[in-house]
Amino acid sequence: MLLKTLSEAFGPTGFEDEVRNVIRGELEGRVDEMKTDVLGNLIAVKGAAKPGPKVMLDAHMDEVGLMVVQICDGGADAGLLKFRSLGGIDPRVLVSKPVFIGPDRIPGVIGAKPVHLQAPEERQKPIPMEKLYIDIGAKDAADAKSVVKPGDAAVFATRYAEFGERAAKGKSFDDRVGCALLVEAMRHEVPYPLYGAFTVQEEIGLRGARAAAYQIQPDIAIALEGTVCFDVVGAPSHGQSTVLGKGPALTVQDAQTIADRRFAEFMWETAQRHGIPVQWRRVKGGSNDFGAIHRIGKGVVGGSISVPVRYIHAPTQVVSLDDVENAQRLLQAVLKEIAEGSFTL
Amino acid sequence: MKEWIVRLAGEIAPSGSEGRIASVLLDAVQDLADETHMDALGNAIATKHGDGPHVMIAAHMDEPGVMVIDIDDNGYLRVIPTGGLTASETAFRQVTFTNGTIGLVCLEDGEKRPEQFDQLYIDIGAKHRQEAESRAFIGLSGVIGGSVTEVGNGRLLGRALDNRVGCAIALQAFRDLAQRGLHVSVVFTAQNAPGARAAQAAAFALEPDLAIVVDATPASDVPGGKRTALQLGAGPAFKVMDAGTVAPLAVKQLVEDTAHALGITLQYEVWPSGRSDTGAIQLTRAGILAAGISYPVHTAGAAEAMVDLADVEATLRLLVASVQAYRK
Amino acid sequence: MENHQRLLEQLMTTHGGPGFEGAVRDVVVPQLHTYAHKVEVDVMGNVVACIEGRGEGRRPRVLLAAHMDEIALVVARIEEGGFLRVAQTGGFDPRTLVGQEVVVHTCGGDLLAVVGSKPPHLTAPEERGKAAPLSDLYLDLAMQESAVRERVRIGDRVTLSREVYLLRNRRLAGKSLDNRASLAILLETLHRLGQFVHQADVYAVATVQEEVGLRGAQTVGFAVQPDVAIAIDVTFGAFPGQAADESFALDAGPAISFGPNLHRKVFQRLVDVAERHRIPYQIELSQTPVGADANAFQVAGPGLAAALVGIPIRYMHTSVETGSYSDIEQCARLLAHYIAELDMEQVEDLSCY
Repeated sequence: MLLKTLSEAFGPTGFEDEVRNVIRGELEGRVDEMKTDVLGNLIAVKGAAKPGPKVMLDAHMDEVGLMVVQICDGGADAGLLKFRSLGGIDPRVLVSKPVFIGPDRIPGVIGAKPVHLQAPEERQKPIPMEKLYIDIGAKDAADAKSVVKPGDAAVFATRYAEFGERAAKGKSFDDRVGCALLVEAMRHEVPYPLYGAFTVQEEIGLRGARAAAYQIQPDIAIALEGTVCFDVVGAPSHGQSTVLGKGPALTVQDAQTIADRRFAEFMWETAQRHGIPVQWRRVKGGSNDFGAIHRIGKGVVGGSISVPVRYIHAPTQVVSLDDVENAQRLLQAVLKEIAEGSFTL
Repeated sequence: MKEWIVRLAGEIAPSGSEGRIASVLLDAVQDLADETHMDALGNAIATKHGDGPHVMIAAHMDEPGVMVIDIDDNGYLRVIPTGGLTASETAFRQVTFTNGTIGLVCLEDGEKRPEQFDQLYIDIGAKHRQEAESRAFIGLSGVIGGSVTEVGNGRLLGRALDNRVGCAIALQAFRDLAQRGLHVSVVFTAQNAPGARAAQAAAFALEPDLAIVVDATPASDVPGGKRTALQLGAGPAFKVMDAGTVAPLAVKQLVEDTAHALGITLQYEVWPSGRSDTGAIQLTRAGILAAGISYPVHTAGAAEAMVDLADVEATLRLLVASVQAYRK
Repeated sequence: MENHQRLLEQLMTTHGGPGFEGAVRDVVVPQLHTYAHKVEVDVMGNVVACIEGRGEGRRPRVLLAAHMDEIALVVARIEEGGFLRVAQTGGFDPRTLVGQEVVVHTCGGDLLAVVGSKPPHLTAPEERGKAAPLSDLYLDLAMQESAVRERVRIGDRVTLSREVYLLRNRRLAGKSLDNRASLAILLETLHRLGQFVHQADVYAVATVQEEVGLRGAQTVGFAVQPDVAIAIDVTFGAFPGQAADESFALDAGPAISFGPNLHRKVFQRLVDVAERHRIPYQIELSQTPVGADANAFQVAGPGLAAALVGIPIRYMHTSVETGSYSDIEQCARLLAHYIAELDMEQVEDLSCY
C-alpha cells in the first residue's frame, strides 16, 4: 500500500532521497516527464503543451527528524550520540522512543535517567534536547564511529498500521499523505498542463516549494498537506483546528497565507456539488507550501487541501482513511471542475 | 484631500478582503491610466505610460482586522487576527464585518485580562448556531474602530487612517504625475498588515526604476514616546530604516534636496520594529531602487490613528516633486 | 604580491554598516579590478566582478560571495544634553558596547563618541548584577546639545572604532573581522586562481546588508543565477563553554558547512578537494537554514546549489574579533582548487538526485 510505503520511508528534511525514489517508481511511465532540480525537488509534468491554465499540485516529501551532531567519547557518555532536531520537534515527545539513523536504518533508542534517580523537581520539567542521547548500543566512540558520523539524520522508527475504525497510525503523515494524494492525481488525465511538485525542505521554511513554483510559474496552485487535528478530550470547538473523519480541510487563514477567498469557496462548493464531506481548518498557527507558492513572481491563485492528522510532528500520527479517500475525491473533483471552466482566473 | 481620506477610511478592508476598496481606488484613476488591473494577490495596479524613468508609487490599502474561525452551538463567534491586532486592543470593542454584521468582542467569563484571541468571543446577538451562520461564516473578516472625525487643529482621528491617508496621497500623486506626462504606476497594495505579502508581486510585474512607498509611521511626541524621534505636525519623514529596509543613500539625497527646494522640513524615520512594503519591493528580482516617505501618526499599525492634515499635504507635495526630480 | 594581509587590516579599520558600505566598496573595487576586467555595482550596492573561464560553449558559473557590511548602530534619538540613543542594525550584544569608542558618521564627517557607563563608585551592587539593554546606553560626543543637533541627524550610522592588533601566530584581532576576513579570502582565492586554467566563469561578489537579513545576497543571487553559489562567512572559534558542534579550532583550517539547505554534492566536492590537496578543514553542521548569504542563495529565483565555507573567529560581533591569517590562506587554497576543477559534468550532476 502506497501510504504505508511512503509513511515508513526515510526522508528527514534535506534527506528526502528514499521518498523521492518511491515516488519516482510509482510515476514511471505514467507522466510525460519527471525531473529533479538543483534543490532535490521532484517535478512530474503532464501535458505541458496543452492549452488552459497551468496547474501546480504540491506535496512535500520531507519530514521532521533528528541530526546526529556529536559522537561522545568521554566517560559515561562514551559511544552515545548527541543530536539536534531537523524541523520542529517538541523535545517532550522524544524520551523512550526508538529511531533509525540513516537510510541503512541503524537502530537506536532515546532513553533518559530512570525516574527513581530523578529529584522531585527534575520530574516536573521536560528534559531538554541537549540532555538526551541516542544509544545505538556502541561500546565506545570508535565503535559508534564505525557506523555513524556527525551529520547523519535520523527518523522515528514507527511502523504503519491500520487500527480502530477506518484509522491508520504511522509517522510523517505530514506530508506523506499529501505525497500519496499527489501520486494518485498525477496518474489521471487532465486537459490542461499539470505539474506535480514533490518538494524538499518544507519543514525548515517552505524552501523547496518556493524554488519549484518559481520554475513552474503556475496559474493555479494547490498544496496537499497533512494538517493539525486536535479533536480530543478537553479541546473546545475553536481549539480543535480540524475533526478527524469529517473530511478534508480547507484553509481560510494560517500563519503564512490569507486564503484566496474565491478559490477557497470554489473548492468548498465543488465538495458540496460532489457530495464530499469537507471542513474548514480552524486555527491560525501552522502553514503549508502554498504560503511560499502564492507569493512567487506576479502572485499565484490557489489554496490547499489538507488531511487532518492527530499528533502531527510526533512519533506516531493518526489519520482517518475516510479523510484520505475524501481528500482524493475532492482533489479529483476540483481538477475536473477546473477543466470544465468552473473556476475562471 | 480630506474628502478622499474620509471616503477611503469609510471602506472596510481587512487584509485579504480588499476587493471593494480596490475598485473604488481604480475607479478614481481610470480616466488617466492606460492600464488598470487587480492581480492574483489583490493588489490594485494602474499605469500611465509617459516620459522618463518608470516610477512606482505604492500605498497599502488593507488594515488590520479579525477573521471568524469558529461558530459555536450558542451562536458565538471565535476570531483570529489578520495583521497586528492584539487581543487586548480588540477586547470590549465593536467589530464590523465586511458583510455588515456587527458584534461585540467579549472576554470569556472569569478571565481577568485579554492576552490571547483564544479568550475572546464575539456576540452578534444570535440565539443559536443556525442564526449565527445566517449572518457570519468561517473566513468572514471584520475590523474594529470608529469612523473618522476632525478633532481640531487640522487633525483627523479614526479607523484605518493608517494607511487610507497614504492611499489618498498616492492617488493624488498619480493623477498629478500622469497629467504631467510622466511614466508612473500606482499600486494600492493588499496584505501589508500580516507582513507585506503582496507588494513584491506587483513590483515583480512592474519592474520600476524607482519605487516610493507612502505609509504611516509612529510619532513619538507622546507620553513615554521612545519608538522614533518623530513629531506629529512637523512634516513628512524620510524612512532611513525600519525592520525590513535600509534606504538607498541616492534616494535619500534626492528627497532631501527636493524637500529643501520646496522649503519643507523633513523628518527622519528610524523605526527598528517597523514594517512597510518598502523592503519587500526593494528585494524584488535583482533589486529595485526603493524608499519610503512616511507621514507621522499617533499609534501606527493599530485600528485607529490620528493624523495632521498639514503633514499629509506636505507629504503629497514632497512625493510629487521627488518623482519629478528623479532622473535615472 | 605576497598576500592580502595588509589589505585586510585596512578593511578592518574601514567603516561600513548595512546600507552604507561605500567606503569598503571603494577599497574592494580597485582590488577586484586587478583580477577582473568587468566590475559592476548593482542597485543594492553589491559589487560583482566577473572573471571568465576558458573553453567554448556552456561554461560552469560559480558565484563566490563575501559580505562587506559590518554590524552597526543607527542614531534613533538625540536626547537632552546632546546624548545620542541608538538602535541596532545588526546583532550587537549591548554588554560589549559599554565603554566602547565608536564613530558617528554624519554628512559633515566622522565624529568620535564614547558609549557612556556609570562609574563603579556610583553603582549599587544590585545594579552591577544586571546588564543594561541597548535602550539604556547612550553615546557621548562631548559636545553641547546645540552643536550635536547641528551636526548629527536621526538616521546617521555608528560603527565601532578599533585598531587592528597583531597577536601571536599570525592571528589578528579587531572589529569587523566578520566579514572582512572573507573579503580577504575572496581576493586570496582570485590571486591563487590566476595560476590555474579554469573553465568556470567566476562571479566574485561583495554583498551588502547581510547583517540585517541577507538582503544583498537575495538580489544578486537572482541576478546572476549561477550554477553554484558559495558564501564565505566566518564561524564560531572554539571557546570554553560553547557546544562542541558549534566550536571550531583556530588554525585548523576552514569550516565547510553541511546541512539541509546546502548542496550536498558541492559540500562533498569541497571535502574531496581539501583531502586531495591536504588542506586542513573542519565540518560544521546545521539543522536549519544557515545564518549566512548561502541561505538566501539557495532559494533565489529557481533555486541555486548553495555552499558555505569560512574561517572560525573568536568573540564574534565584538570589537576584538580574533582569527588566523593561516586559516584565510587555507580557505583560499580550498576555493581556488575547487573552482579550478569545476566542470560541466559536475554542474549537470547537481540536479541529479
